[in-house]
Amino acid sequence: MSRAFSLALKQKIDETLARYPEKRAALLPVLHLVQNETGFISAEDERTVAALLDIKPIMVREVVTFYTMFNQKPPGRFHIRVCTNLSCSLAGGEKMVDYLKTRLGLQPGQTTPDGKFTLTEVECLGGCDQAPCLMVNFDHFGNLDRDKIERLLESLK
Amino acid sequence: MNAEQKILTRDLGPENLHRIDVYLQNGGYRAVKKALTHCQPGPILEEIKKSGLRGRGGAGFPTGLKWSFVPQETDTGKYLCVNADEGEPGTFKDRFILGHLPHLLIEGVIIASYAVGIPTAYVYIRGEYETLARRLELAIDEAYEKGFLGKDILKSGFDLDLFVHRGAGAYICGEETALLESLEGKRGYPRLKPPFPAKVGLFQKPTVINNIETLANVAPIILYGADWFLSRGLPNEGGTRLFGVSGAVTKPGLYELPVGTGLREIIFTHAGGLKPGRKLKAVIPGGMSAPLLKADEIDIKMDADSVAAVGSMLGSAAIIVIDDRTPILTVLKKIARFYAHESCGQCTPCRLGSAWILKTVDRMAGGEGEPGDIDALARLAANIQGRSLCPLGEAESLSVLSIAHKFRDELEDSLKNRAIIQE
Amino acid sequence: MPKIIIDGISLEVEEGMTILKAAERVGVHVPRFCYHPAFVPEGSCRLCYVEIEGCSKLELSCSTVVKDGMNIATRSPRAVAARRSVLEFLLAEHPLDCPICDKAGECKLQDYAWEHGLVESEFREVKEKREKKIPIAARLVLDRERCVLCTRCVRFLEEITATRELGLFERGIRAEVSTYHGELVQTHYSGNLADLCPVGAITDTEFRFKARTWFLAPAESICPLCSRGCHIYIDYHSGFPRQPGSAKVYRIRPRVNDAVNGPWICDMGRYGFVDRQQNNRWSKLCWNKRDPKTELNWEKALDLIAARIRSLREGEGKPPGRITMILTSWLTNEELYLIKKMFQQELNVTDIYFADPKPGAGDDFLLRPERSPNRRGALEMGYDLKPVVMETAVRDTDMLLVFGPFIGESFTAEEMKDVIVDIPAKILITSHESGLESLFDFVLPSAFISEKSGSLTNIDGRIQKFRAAVPQSGSAKPEWEILLELAKALPVFADRLGRWKDPFSIFEDMGKEVPFFGIRT
Repeated sequence: MSRAFSLALKQKIDETLARYPEKRAALLPVLHLVQNETGFISAEDERTVAALLDIKPIMVREVVTFYTMFNQKPPGRFHIRVCTNLSCSLAGGEKMVDYLKTRLGLQPGQTTPDGKFTLTEVECLGGCDQAPCLMVNFDHFGNLDRDKIERLLESLK
Repeated sequence: MNAEQKILTRDLGPENLHRIDVYLQNGGYRAVKKALTHCQPGPILEEIKKSGLRGRGGAGFPTGLKWSFVPQETDTGKYLCVNADEGEPGTFKDRFILGHLPHLLIEGVIIASYAVGIPTAYVYIRGEYETLARRLELAIDEAYEKGFLGKDILKSGFDLDLFVHRGAGAYICGEETALLESLEGKRGYPRLKPPFPAKVGLFQKPTVINNIETLANVAPIILYGADWFLSRGLPNEGGTRLFGVSGAVTKPGLYELPVGTGLREIIFTHAGGLKPGRKLKAVIPGGMSAPLLKADEIDIKMDADSVAAVGSMLGSAAIIVIDDRTPILTVLKKIARFYAHESCGQCTPCRLGSAWILKTVDRMAGGEGEPGDIDALARLAANIQGRSLCPLGEAESLSVLSIAHKFRDELEDSLKNRAIIQE
Repeated sequence: MPKIIIDGISLEVEEGMTILKAAERVGVHVPRFCYHPAFVPEGSCRLCYVEIEGCSKLELSCSTVVKDGMNIATRSPRAVAARRSVLEFLLAEHPLDCPICDKAGECKLQDYAWEHGLVESEFREVKEKREKKIPIAARLVLDRERCVLCTRCVRFLEEITATRELGLFERGIRAEVSTYHGELVQTHYSGNLADLCPVGAITDTEFRFKARTWFLAPAESICPLCSRGCHIYIDYHSGFPRQPGSAKVYRIRPRVNDAVNGPWICDMGRYGFVDRQQNNRWSKLCWNKRDPKTELNWEKALDLIAARIRSLREGEGKPPGRITMILTSWLTNEELYLIKKMFQQELNVTDIYFADPKPGAGDDFLLRPERSPNRRGALEMGYDLKPVVMETAVRDTDMLLVFGPFIGESFTAEEMKDVIVDIPAKILITSHESGLESLFDFVLPSAFISEKSGSLTNIDGRIQKFRAAVPQSGSAKPEWEILLELAKALPVFADRLGRWKDPFSIFEDMGKEVPFFGIRT
């Protein structure tokens, strides 16, 4: 299935390319731009990005599979990344993780059937002073307890 | 520490300090003006050397010395990379600086670049800090508008371009050469050293890589002098650190305190001690890569040499406090899983060793451990130590070894009781 | 020039040389997986550790440059312990496939594990399960359980062919070598990947499960399929302890020669060689006039041919009969020399043409468009390599003598039949079928290059000698032997026949008479 990049996206990509002496260096920022628009990096996207950066598609895929933030399939509208590292765990984080799994009916890596939520377990998010914490898409939420999680989930429309 | 003694957090009163108008109103960019209009690069570099400023990302390498390794010639192109990949578990100080003091960071970048003769700088920011990246991009735009970035800054003849570059979820990219690979659009595989980045770095050109907090200290040093900076810390290690305390304490948070402040004081005086009903079991003093200290080992000063003397490291000054209600097997499991997950996979010992360690720890934590497993873990860790391509393997091995050694009794009990750790 | 000591041996080497390369100079092999002389050192396998006197840390020999005065121990207890631990890590996740793995016997993991005494495993966990039979090229499969992630295959396709058809995906213990969404490796140097792989992760599908490597005897030879003349090993199985009849060439591999092909060969040569060795061979001595496909012996056949040649030369009262020859530049230098002496000089034959394989596509690496190995040799021998135009060439000739099957590429049996039917004597000397055999009176089976000794001259003028690697197929004889026996039967140059026992003695005389071949390779 062909998926052309929007004009706005192409423009942002061009601006990004201009910041580096080698086009390949723009790969991670460009993949973020693409993913912000399309949600994930498809095989087609790999080829399109490769062509724009004068590199081979396999080099794009090598990067997509190395970095955990690049999605190879569409995520839910709200991607919940919950920290399972030490400081959050010491602050009761595991209970939050279990609560989310039960509440959403998801194992880590899965998406709800209605396509609303994806749950991922991640390592330290740098929010240890507000442990336990999680991210929803690009927003950070800390000092979690069950109530806060409930209210957060309610607010996500 | 009273406000006057602080360096980074002395002027946090005003709101929106991340906006350049507020920042300028508060006396911001004086250091840049002083450096570019009144100083030559050479003396600036000397001042930084004299200040004893050390890297605050984890390795603690003397900053002035690092800058001086870059060749003087300017015709080949040079780069400055700001390491904003903050991934060391327990560390959240760079997030703070990015959120509240992006212009202080930009000042440091400008002065550092001026001192070393660098025309292009990139901030490599971890992908998860997207909202902070946008804030930083806004601050950079503001700096360009006011003429602090771009061509002929403050009519000094010095040009500097600064760009934000996002990572995408790989702790290994906090290692300086893996950061370079990632900035070049590749998988974050650390490089062999030598050659060192100061000679062969980004795009094969001489490159300086500095942590955010390190660069945030540059402007104050230039403004108030090396002696001033040294006086706020120790004679051989000046300044303050943003100590990040987390874990089972009542007041987790960032505490800017002099280098050399006692660890016990940080935990019990500043961070409010353990949560009610809990006792101290162990402390990780410098981010997960630092070996553990037992409860009776925390009467040390938090400076690089003192912590190294007790077999750990100051690292990112991220203090993780572990209480007596947390099984040490939980800690071990978190550590094993973290390194196995973040290992880039390039070199044999770390790729296979971290997986083997995780499998063993998981089995132990699942109640299927055998008495010989503790020795097995120690042997595996010792086999990774000194044999991996980059410090990640080293960090894992020392961390695991410290637990196997210092908490052997508790581990043996867990195994005997076939304790199962749920996490 | 730095002076160093390696394992007690003193040596002086060039500035900038690595310890590993210096060690090879004195015959010391430092174990390694990721290092390969054709690639930039990677330093990821961590096997090549050595101990340097005065250094607290062990150093990687693949990427550490020697300094004057270094005293290096490659097998000190510390270095061995480090290496052993790396091997232990690899073996822990390695499948116990040796009994069914083709690489057994030439597997570096086996060899090093044996050297380091790794016999018992301390791994008590569950091994990773991965895919074991992934097609990555037309004739290659990848076994991810066996893969040690030395990344040589990926880097070959990056640094040598620049086609980047394999990549590294995922991270950590999940890291794996992969094609791009199943797209097979297309480069026609793909066969080198199986050689490069230090373990049995990349295997050749035609060789899979066919032979144990320790029953293969490698012999040195030259690939004849183009004019590059790459250096090869022929891996031959003599049939023991299997049943007779299965004696054959199983595969060829590159033989390192820095001046010709480096450590590589192309797929056309690699797979084509074995194909030519086994298939469409002509191994029977035939005399079609007597009985269709009657077999007879060499002595009789050559006597008859010699008699006919004599009668053509000694016709009373009439001019000598005409002999037309169609040669091929698949003949060795020695064979072309013999023909020159016997037929051109002694028998005054002037109608000499060449029929060679049609040129193919070349590349900017090893493969040459010229698909025969010795056109240069023929030119230097003085032949003018006239291609054969069948109608004019054989008009009014009394004897047609054809070497090689290659006229069959230009002419069908139908086309040839009418043209040559009236020639009184027609002899074909060939190693392979061409479909034209029934048109000739005599068909003499000749040897393939693996079955004879001699020399060939490659496109760059390199004279490359080789020895017979495998026994003759059927009744076949090398052309030089056929020619010498014919010379004896005629007879011509009896004085030299005593001296010319083998191609090497012929080479000596050849060098004296034709200056070009006086050059020593």
